[in-house]
Amino acid sequence: MAKRTGTDGSLLASLPWTLAALGFSIAPHVQYLPLWITSAFLICAVWRLEIERRRRALPRPWIRVVLALVCFLGVLVSYNNEISGVGPGSALLAIMAALKLLETKRRRDQFVHLFISIFLVMASLLREQFVWSLPYLLLAVVLTMTAWLRMSLANDGGETSVRQSFRTASRLLLYAAPLMLAMWILFPRISTPFWAIPVDASSATSGLSDNMSPGDISSLSLSNAVAFRVKFESSVPEPRDRYWRGLVLHSFNGRSWSGSDPSRDPDARDRVFEEGDPVRYQVTMEPTRQQWVFALDIPLEWSRSEIVMGPQQQLANEQPVDQRMTYNATSYTRYRIDPQLTSFYRTRYTDLPTRSNPRTAELAQQMRLAAGSDEAFVNDVLAKFHNEEFYYTLEPPALGRDPVDRFLFGTQQGFCEHYASAFAVMMRAVGIPSRIVLGYQGGELNPLGGHLTVRQSDAHAWTEVWMPNHGWRRVDPTAAVAPERIESGMTGAMMSGMGALWGLSTPLAWLHSMGLTWDALNAKWNDWILGYGPDQQESFLEWLGMEEPDWRKMMLTMTFLVAAIVGIISLFLMARYRPPPQDRAAILYKKFTQKSGLPPNRGEPPLAYSIRLSEDREELAADADSVTEQYLLARYAPPNPGAIASLKVAVNQFNN
Amino acid sequence: MSSIPWQFPRFPKLPSLHKAVGDRVQRWARKRQGGDSHVTRLHSKRIYILPTGVGFVFALMTFAMLLGSMNYNNNLSFVLTFLLVGLGLVSMHQCQRNLVGLELSFAGADPVFAGQAAQFRIAITNRSKNSRYHIQLYADAVSSEVRDLAPGDSKVFRLAIPTDRRGYIALERFGIRTLFPFELFRSWAWLHMDLKGLVYPSPAEHAPEPPATQTAQGHRQHDARGEEDFAGLRKFNEGDSPRHVAWKAYARTGELFSKQFAGADTSSQWFDFEHVDEDELEKRLSVITRWIIDADRTQRDYGVRIPGSEYPPAHGESHRHLCLESLALFNGGDRHG
Repeated sequence: MAKRTGTDGSLLASLPWTLAALGFSIAPHVQYLPLWITSAFLICAVWRLEIERRRRALPRPWIRVVLALVCFLGVLVSYNNEISGVGPGSALLAIMAALKLLETKRRRDQFVHLFISIFLVMASLLREQFVWSLPYLLLAVVLTMTAWLRMSLANDGGETSVRQSFRTASRLLLYAAPLMLAMWILFPRISTPFWAIPVDASSATSGLSDNMSPGDISSLSLSNAVAFRVKFESSVPEPRDRYWRGLVLHSFNGRSWSGSDPSRDPDARDRVFEEGDPVRYQVTMEPTRQQWVFALDIPLEWSRSEIVMGPQQQLANEQPVDQRMTYNATSYTRYRIDPQLTSFYRTRYTDLPTRSNPRTAELAQQMRLAAGSDEAFVNDVLAKFHNEEFYYTLEPPALGRDPVDRFLFGTQQGFCEHYASAFAVMMRAVGIPSRIVLGYQGGELNPLGGHLTVRQSDAHAWTEVWMPNHGWRRVDPTAAVAPERIESGMTGAMMSGMGALWGLSTPLAWLHSMGLTWDALNAKWNDWILGYGPDQQESFLEWLGMEEPDWRKMMLTMTFLVAAIVGIISLFLMARYRPPPQDRAAILYKKFTQKSGLPPNRGEPPLAYSIRLSEDREELAADADSVTEQYLLARYAPPNPGAIASLKVAVNQFNN
Repeated sequence: MSSIPWQFPRFPKLPSLHKAVGDRVQRWARKRQGGDSHVTRLHSKRIYILPTGVGFVFALMTFAMLLGSMNYNNNLSFVLTFLLVGLGLVSMHQCQRNLVGLELSFAGADPVFAGQAAQFRIAITNRSKNSRYHIQLYADAVSSEVRDLAPGDSKVFRLAIPTDRRGYIALERFGIRTLFPFELFRSWAWLHMDLKGLVYPSPAEHAPEPPATQTAQGHRQHDARGEEDFAGLRKFNEGDSPRHVAWKAYARTGELFSKQFAGADTSSQWFDFEHVDEDELEKRLSVITRWIIDADRTQRDYGVRIPGSEYPPAHGESHRHLCLESLALFNGGDRHG
């Protein structure tokens, strides 16, 4: 084996910057990456830096091969053999960067790291696009480009300071910014992706689950994450009307509800009869990786053709919603659905598994007998929830077998799911068709942005019962227990003391208003930056004055604009690198020597020349003396704008 | 990941085609630009630019990023992509401007012996108010070191052009190039200053003793300088007699000097072309070159006689140069290129 030579330390001027750029690019991935990958990167970075510092040799080739194999297998295992998608992709990039460090010998090898660094930044942008992602990406690019300059330094790099490199990178980025802006605005956006976007299996879904098992989980963890934001074109509906319909569950197995169908039902919409005034609004929905789409109860029109209505009037997208999605919709808060119900559906919506929750069934039948009519029975059940010792809590005890029995006769503590489930079971027990609707209720009006923000913590479950001729009617049993939950929304309920139940102290008012500002900023960010799609682009360009923008016009305008900006930058650079014009005083002095007719000797001082001139042509002596004095003043005295002017006069008068 | 270091793709080089195209382009540039004076300021019209291999990879990367951004409809990765595209465009212009206005002036080429590399010194001056980075001179296969030029800076760059024969070596064309800022583009300019450097014959490795030529007086020369009259001091050279060391001067300055004496002795040595025991012209010149070097080293007087010219015995730097130059240019040495 050839003798291994140590490194020569030539990478010391650039390697720390390459590592800094890489570290900065990996940072946003750290929370998603397996811990061992981050550690591997840090170890390799420190290891490589020490090798360079101590002029040691790089690890032997076989060590590197073994490490590479181990790490690649490690990624496969960590991601269950899945290597597409942002998660495994960024893991592979991070590992590649780490291992490549161990064989980087020449300065130019660091190109690979800088390319990886850029790809990692790109990957983090595919993963999340927050308001601060923009400054982050700008900083990452400056850092990467600084490292790039450090890498391509002249010789040992002793001649250029880090500060200079940083300033050069920032300056070039500043020139690139207007180009970026022009391209960003004008580059034609398309609505359909070229290839399927790999769904990241490693990241958890947010939003509602497809089934509901009250009692299985003993507490509901409510995140403050935004589910969607709504901008109303008409007036904002009352809080009690803000029911955002999601999925509809109709199948109950004794423990859990399921069975919402996202497929298209061609006449679901025709079975809805609207009343009253329409509510028009625009929803910007955060990605859920599920198909469900939310709309104010009950939607009749919507803007995207990929959104379909299922058999229980639930809206769904044809594909899981993997990206933020904006759609317009029109809803009616007063409506009738399915005035007639076939016996097939009557059976389906009254189906209960035999021998489950027997005490509930018994209670329902007694109450129905006592009530006399279905309507009265519904009211009696709601009154029971309201009057008896039922508590609304987000941390109820677990229920186990026959959860509805145990809830009604035992714990009597629960949140929306418990009440909705118990209510629906009681309805079905006496043959009233009923189903569960999952969605969101409420939302907070943002006074700054004018929009309504609906959060995951606003998730809600309610019931629909079917009455002959009336059709499906929304009944929210939770409202009977905790009316403030419905009237003022989750945040309001929390602020008025419910928060104590949740284990949180009452949020301070200013914290809340800061949150509102942040939310408004996010809404604008979503609308203007992230949501800049084909439609927004068209209307924005029309607003700018482009007539009927299509992709040809956009590309053409973009090309011209980019060329123009590049031209301006080029002119600017030309001025920047032009040698300064000759000194005015020197030009005038030269004119003087030409007029005198006596060529000055090479390097002859002005005074010596003046004396020689005076001896040669005595008639000019006085003038030559004066010009020389003016010249010396203009050239060597502290700057004085008048000096040049008087020198000019003296030279012009000389020897005329 | 293999253990072979990954390298950026370079242009595949078809040797003959590459050379043919290169020569043609260079002839075109020569015709277009004309000759240059020994002080030349670079005008933007004569600066050429092409992307490097890294530049192509960069372009490929931004294109991939553009496709990705379009597919994901991700406006932030559009920002990143277009920022990089913008940086690429800007760096193209920056790269070209990095050379504009630089002043190149020929600062001489010291004579060398054939086989050594002729050092052409070219001073580059940056008269603008901004730094120039990553500047390099090159000629065919050789290149100078890479240096930066601060505002107002003037630095001497050296081009070591290999020589193989005596005479004048011509540097008809050399280039100045830069990869600044990101090595995505290489911009360069060709200069045709018609520079010349003198190449002495290469000294023979084993030369016979100089023949005992007779001086005009007819007596054999001494091989040491006379010791009659003290003439001055010069730096001590290895081989000087310890008896000649000026100890007083050493005590005063800490440096060793040898005393020099003007010889009343007129003994001197003639190196006569006709008396070299070699058949070939070049070998004869090599032998004389060797003799001159040796004689110069030991500070002896020597004269050179070659057909057509004669240099009477003397010593010193300029004498040595005159003698070696006459050997270098003898019999058509200047026709060599």
